[in-house]
Amino acid sequence: MINMLVSILLVLLLQLLFYSWWWIIIVPLILGFFEKDSVLKASLANGTGVFLLWFGMGLYAWKQGGEIIVSRVVEIMGAGSGFLLAIATGFIGFFVASIAGYAGFSLRRTLFKEYQV
Amino acid sequence: MRLFKTILAFIVLITLFMLLNNNQGSIPPLGKFLNPFAGFWQNGSGDDQMAEVLDVKGLREEVTIVWDERQIPHVFAQNDYDAYFTQGFLTARHRLWQMEFQTHVAAGRVSEIIGPRAIDFDKLQRRRGLLSSAESYLNLINQDPETQLIVQAYANGVNTWIATLTPASLPLEYKLLNYKPEAWSTLKTALLQKYMAWDLTGRNSEMDLSVIRHALGEDFVERYYPEDTPRTDPIIPAAKPWRFEPLMPDVAQDFFTPQFIRNMNEPQPNENNGSNNWAVSGRKTRSGSPILANDPHLGLNLPSIWYEIQLNTPDMNVYGTSLPGAPAVIIGFNEDIAWGLTNAGTDVLDWFEIEFKDSSFQEYLYLDEWIPADMRIEEILVRDGDTVQDTFPITRFGPVVHFGEHILENGNPVGLAMRWSAHDPSNEMQAIRNMNLAHDLETFYQALDQYRVPGQNFAMATKTGDIAIRHNGHFPLRAKNEGKFVQSGRDTTGEWTQWIPPEHLPVISNPWRGYVSSANQNPVGKNYPYYMGWEYDDYERGARINEVLGSLKNIDLIDMQNLHTDHMNVQARRILPFLLKQVKTEKLTNEELEVLADLKQWNYLSVPNSRAALVYREWWVRIEEAIWNDELTINGTLRKIPTRSVTENLLLRKKNLEYYDNVLTKELVEDRQMIIRQAFEQMVYDLHVGLGDYGEAWELGRARGTDINHLLSVKGLGRTSLYTGGGKGIVNATNKKFGPSWRMMVEIGDSIRALGVYPGGQSGNPGSKFYDNAVDKWVKGEYYDLHFLGSPVSIQDKKFTMTRLRNYQ
Repeated sequence: MINMLVSILLVLLLQLLFYSWWWIIIVPLILGFFEKDSVLKASLANGTGVFLLWFGMGLYAWKQGGEIIVSRVVEIMGAGSGFLLAIATGFIGFFVASIAGYAGFSLRRTLFKEYQV
Repeated sequence: MRLFKTILAFIVLITLFMLLNNNQGSIPPLGKFLNPFAGFWQNGSGDDQMAEVLDVKGLREEVTIVWDERQIPHVFAQNDYDAYFTQGFLTARHRLWQMEFQTHVAAGRVSEIIGPRAIDFDKLQRRRGLLSSAESYLNLINQDPETQLIVQAYANGVNTWIATLTPASLPLEYKLLNYKPEAWSTLKTALLQKYMAWDLTGRNSEMDLSVIRHALGEDFVERYYPEDTPRTDPIIPAAKPWRFEPLMPDVAQDFFTPQFIRNMNEPQPNENNGSNNWAVSGRKTRSGSPILANDPHLGLNLPSIWYEIQLNTPDMNVYGTSLPGAPAVIIGFNEDIAWGLTNAGTDVLDWFEIEFKDSSFQEYLYLDEWIPADMRIEEILVRDGDTVQDTFPITRFGPVVHFGEHILENGNPVGLAMRWSAHDPSNEMQAIRNMNLAHDLETFYQALDQYRVPGQNFAMATKTGDIAIRHNGHFPLRAKNEGKFVQSGRDTTGEWTQWIPPEHLPVISNPWRGYVSSANQNPVGKNYPYYMGWEYDDYERGARINEVLGSLKNIDLIDMQNLHTDHMNVQARRILPFLLKQVKTEKLTNEELEVLADLKQWNYLSVPNSRAALVYREWWVRIEEAIWNDELTINGTLRKIPTRSVTENLLLRKKNLEYYDNVLTKELVEDRQMIIRQAFEQMVYDLHVGLGDYGEAWELGRARGTDINHLLSVKGLGRTSLYTGGGKGIVNATNKKFGPSWRMMVEIGDSIRALGVYPGGQSGNPGSKFYDNAVDKWVKGEYYDLHFLGSPVSIQDKKFTMTRLRNYQ
């Protein structure tokens, strides 16, 4: 839970300040690197955190004046509804962040002997 | 194994990054695009309302903007610089992507945005010389401090807006296409105006006509492509005497057959387009004040073509539509004069066949000597590709746009050079500025003397009760039929050496009939001493407008609205009774009989729910095809067919004509009655296949309707299947993709009442409710009140809000 919250807060802060989408790679990569115990924590905690953040921000933007643009993008992308589009947004975040978290975790275990069997 | 897993994870991660960070074909970069902090999610309507106070760097004094209920800005500035700066700032706020994209199109820089598939388009656009014309236009602007200040102030305003943008507030289209805006320059404004000039240059069928003349003879062309379109009521009444000594043009070229164009065709403006304007004298109006009305028709897109604005300074108070990317008001009114435009259609573009010495295209034959051409080298930057160089010669007849190798019998290559009046420098910006400041007909005419391209019919009405119309532009002095065919670039005969002087241009003020009007038809009758071209629009819209205006008394704005949306199909009214007589009812199917019965009862109004309107339209197209397509398909290319009125006259007057026979059906000799009936049966069959049983689906508004697509044709960003009536040759010349881009009427007297509507909205943001808020009213033929404000203090109404732009150093 802590890992997930840290992931959410860090990505939120960096994206509010610097906008770029690839913070959802950098932050999980680093957090994954420093996760010593569990690959699940490294991967899924980051993934779930970014999912919640992107999904939640999508819903927020949709309901805060984004109704028209969301309906248009739903039509462009054939997404079915604004809710599904927010889910898809969250899922992309989840997928990328999970892999980044795993990559960070895996890198540490490759670099440091104490983790090698 | 662990190393392998790590490497694999990083490969997957990097691949994902590449996939999500870059466009994949037409799919936007999904990582960026779906990013809820900076992607499309941030393009909602939150920014619709501007702050009450804004500190803006670059202003000279404080500016007040009054926003009305449609987000039209009414700008109150203390000086010209601030007025145009604010216009640039606000237009960019609403339309930045559109204005920049259009300049890329004009300059032939689309490949920089969408990659290699636009290279051919960019090459063509650069060879047409829009960029070099804009450069020389800008040189002229820079020599005049007043206009230089206007375009520079506008550019500064645009750039000030661009500086405020963040990745989140970038317009949606930049996110879809994955690029960023560049700094605005005065050259971009010049480019946009040249692009508009190109769009309105009119038809130039000389390649078609040369091929037709070669294949079917001089007589065919003379007979079926006449200078005077039958039944045309010219813009300037034909009886008007011309009291000046005309200049004498040189003699036209003898018969010349170009070698290079057999399979060549130049894209032509859509013939479904049709603009109208008119002005009615106070003698004919209920209020006693003159009324001006205008509906310029263009290809319809979103974001909208026009940006509506009021500009107020101590010396100027003007309201109307502007071109996003260019300062001032193009169509509109001030306290003293209202004006509207239609396209002139006079011939301002000629093609010349140039013979080159060899395939280096560096020397061309002129007066029996090899003359060096100026070689222009264009570098086309290509997104995700190598830079492309295009080198082409510029001759004394203009840039060579099309090339052919070793075409002539002597082995020499040829090319086609394009001579276009907009290649010559002229300062339209100054003209438009002076139009905005004009206070009577005389000062407006003085402004028009500087307005050279594109050629336009300017209708005017003044507060003091004058009305006038002038066919205006920079028109070359021509011998009869000069410019109708491709000419030889080997001698002087086709060269443009003289121009019709402004004081000889067709104009009329305060005619006895109490109104002036234009609908792209031939501007003059036979007694006008100059030849100006032949590809004007057909007679119907002009005739109908004059018929209605002639019959009306005590005219008010409701009458003008009705005329804007007039659906009378004048052509059908004339010829349909005859066509119906040719279709005998024997052997017709039940569906055909039903269609025929509806046509017989039709009132000739092409309203949206009319099935007969659709049926007639489709029937006529098939009749034209049956008569002309066999003869005019030459070397596999269908060439220009005669105008509707020529075909109409033939059908009504000629029972026997060799062209009625389809030369492709050797065993059968078709006659007039047979092709009319066959076309009818074919039409019913085709519509049945496309639309099903005769019913609702056959209504004009459903089967044709109107689509207003986004400039990029992105599904979901346009408004499609709009239930519209009208059509070709009808005053409401709305069509599938064309229509009235702005409907405006102004009653101008001691007080001003103005109405207007355009098919879109002020905002270019598809996420804003002001993106397409006016479309439904436009479809219904309804209007908005245009609030022509005297001062920002006069605002009491809650529909207005205000923004103060403070000078911030």
